[in-house]
Amino acid sequence: MTQVLAARAGKITEEMEIVAAQENVDVEFIRQGVAEGTIVIPKNKKRDRSKICGIGKGLDIKVNALIGTSSDRDQMEMEARKLKAAEEAGCHSFMDLSTGGDIDGMRRQTLSLASVAVGSVPLYQAGVEAIRKRGSIVEMTPDDMFETIEKQAADGLDFMAIHSALNFDVLKTLQKTGRVTDVVSRGGSFMTGWMFHNQKENPLYEQFDRLLAIMKEYDVVLSVGDAIRPGSTADSLDQAQLKGLMVAGELVKKALEAGVQVMVEGPGHVPLNHIETTMLLQKRLCYNVPYYILGFLATDIAPGYDHITGAIGGAYAGMCGADFLCYLTPAEHLGLPTEEDVRAGVVATRIAAHAANISRRRQGAWEKDLEMAKARVALDMDRQIELAINSDKLLEAKAEDDGDQTCAVCGDKCAAQVAAEYFGIA
Amino acid sequence: MALLRNSALQGTITPEMEQVAQKEGVSPEFIRQKVAEGKIVILRNTNHHNVVPVAIGDGLQTKVSASVGLYGRNTSISEEIAKIKVAAEAGTDAIMDLSVSGDIDTMRKEALAATSKPLGTLPLYQALAEASQKYGSSLKMKVEDLFEVIERQAADGVDFLALHCGTTMDVIERAKREGRIDPLVSYGGSHLIGWMVHNGKENPLYENFDRVLEIAAKYDVTVSFADGMRPGCLADSLDGAQVQELVILGELVQRTREAGVQVMVKGPGHVPLDQLKATITLQKSLCKGAPYFVFGPLVTDTAAGYDHISAAIGGAISSWAGAEFLCYVTPAEHIGLPDKDQVRQGVVAARIAAHCGDLAKGMPEAVKWDLEMSLARRELDWEKQISLAIDPVTTERVWKERSGDFSSKCSMCGQYCAMEIVSQYLGNDKKHVC
Repeated sequence: MTQVLAARAGKITEEMEIVAAQENVDVEFIRQGVAEGTIVIPKNKKRDRSKICGIGKGLDIKVNALIGTSSDRDQMEMEARKLKAAEEAGCHSFMDLSTGGDIDGMRRQTLSLASVAVGSVPLYQAGVEAIRKRGSIVEMTPDDMFETIEKQAADGLDFMAIHSALNFDVLKTLQKTGRVTDVVSRGGSFMTGWMFHNQKENPLYEQFDRLLAIMKEYDVVLSVGDAIRPGSTADSLDQAQLKGLMVAGELVKKALEAGVQVMVEGPGHVPLNHIETTMLLQKRLCYNVPYYILGFLATDIAPGYDHITGAIGGAYAGMCGADFLCYLTPAEHLGLPTEEDVRAGVVATRIAAHAANISRRRQGAWEKDLEMAKARVALDMDRQIELAINSDKLLEAKAEDDGDQTCAVCGDKCAAQVAAEYFGIA
Repeated sequence: MALLRNSALQGTITPEMEQVAQKEGVSPEFIRQKVAEGKIVILRNTNHHNVVPVAIGDGLQTKVSASVGLYGRNTSISEEIAKIKVAAEAGTDAIMDLSVSGDIDTMRKEALAATSKPLGTLPLYQALAEASQKYGSSLKMKVEDLFEVIERQAADGVDFLALHCGTTMDVIERAKREGRIDPLVSYGGSHLIGWMVHNGKENPLYENFDRVLEIAAKYDVTVSFADGMRPGCLADSLDGAQVQELVILGELVQRTREAGVQVMVKGPGHVPLDQLKATITLQKSLCKGAPYFVFGPLVTDTAAGYDHISAAIGGAISSWAGAEFLCYVTPAEHIGLPDKDQVRQGVVAARIAAHCGDLAKGMPEAVKWDLEMSLARRELDWEKQISLAIDPVTTERVWKERSGDFSSKCSMCGQYCAMEIVSQYLGNDKKHVC
């Protein structure tokens, strides 16, 4: 039985209990959210792991980190280090996006090392293996795709991004209306190439029931991939994106009916003034299931700093209803991230998530900030270190601190000290 | 020479107005009108001879300012001048010299000579530091001393003066009564409050506000109202003390404009995401559209070590909501003094925020910049992507380090570049990859 079906039958699962305790809400709230589809709990039946989390309405925003090899760099050992760095920095899940080297081995390594939820994009492996076996991505067969999905699900993946919401109708719209950056989703590009070359409809769309059967068997959360996401702020909220979102909505409905947990992936590059509308449309068209977004990147012009453009868009989107933020690292648009990039990406995204949590739920996050403010007033460095989103820089400062508190302006008799006494905080 | 504001009111377009209009891609008449309305200020002191005037305000690109300055024994003039150069290279629009100790006069003179960017200062620091030297205690500073320093700094050519004119006894008492969590967040403000409490005197910058205006008018310095009650934590945002100070500043804006002096207002601080728009709206309403110069704002208290990111979030949304001038926050905020690299990071993060706001406002230059970058991306034109990047040096370095030693142009996707694959089917590019 999947979490959704259990919830609908009125049954409270162990995972729901864990999530409720973590979020400090009533477990009935979680059960109801899972039953309605506004909350998902990524947890493959086949995989045991220590950390469970819920994603969706009324919960704190979660942060995902990406790892994985590419054809240019397939060092599994380095990916293991990145995984460790991201978990230490506080991510709630990973996606293993490997496209190079031993993809099976890499996935199994990720699943065994991670204590949090793990997701993937099975089309990458299917596409890369089609090149190895058949000479080209476009020679991939529908069975290749479904077999890869089944294999990955059986390995224990908790959620999967699958590019079902792309069909000829969407692509025709794209061709008719034109775009600055046509398809920036890698899975989307594989599928677009496949469809045009074979002149066949997307098998992941056409045989959606076959996909749902696999998801259901293992209780994998289906993350409807955003094949047509805007890759530039100029393309945000264009016809093609909306078409794709409507197809995603249709598929969400089917998934919910089938008792499969489902969420929807979103952009991408979105200017600040489009964020609220993007969120509203997604929630409306996709039956209020959780929205999993990449960024949003609030501008295109900051390669090297996209963890910051992503934090800007992510925070505002979180306030407007995004539930799950996929991180961006400073290496986005430039290369495969290093361990340090991964850490920077998780921290920036957690700042965005936390800022949004404060605005959307006050509870918990707000108190943490208040405690931090009080620790600052009390000059209590240890407490600040405890409360910081990431304490590495505070720890460095503490190590270097010479303890000299003499005022640089006033010397011994400090005017600000008089003010402190006046306010009773000296 | 006539004050810029008075010229604008009389319908005269000055060379400064022409100059900034050209830079901003707007008509000189647009600038003149907004200067007359007080919605745009042009930073330039008549005595700052090498300055390139910068305009800040409604309808213009959002600007950023970087702060440096002598602070305690571990800082030196040469190091601070080096930071100014780094900040200018990274694209800051203005500099603030917030020196609080050491040879403040020399520092300021060197700063003015070192850059063509407008320079701001906070004269209270020097007045207190000199009183501490002269009388053995900063608390013994005389009102005369303070105005003498303001005049000295203005005469040197400082383009904008940060002055805590609205931090009155009433405001302070309210903060105490209401139990503000962090009443001492403004460094200058805290010292001023201590001086007021100790001496039992009203804020001299408020009481003698006409003297402030006289000096500002003499050199055509823009007055930048500093906020003694800026919120230093989310819990203090939009509290009574902050709002009351803003009400007072609104009154002083009126008086400043009437004196023919240009004025802008400094603001937050720490502000929760959902209070940013309200904060800007309130300032715009109470201060009659005077440009808003905001510090950050930081959207959480808990991001120590990463506050440039927290500030970029708040700055972007504030810029979109109408704040026209962002004071940078570096990763050293709440921890210590920034080094050169942190200055650079602070400027770039603030510029990203400013640009995101401008893009959201649909400003043509901002929209064009994003479009050009994305076209370069589509063409896989790396040289162009680097030259269009907000910080080309960092972009090129990260790209080379992460992808330079590999066969593909970008190691992120390696052979499986989405742009390349799809361009075969949707574009004109015939590169074969599959």
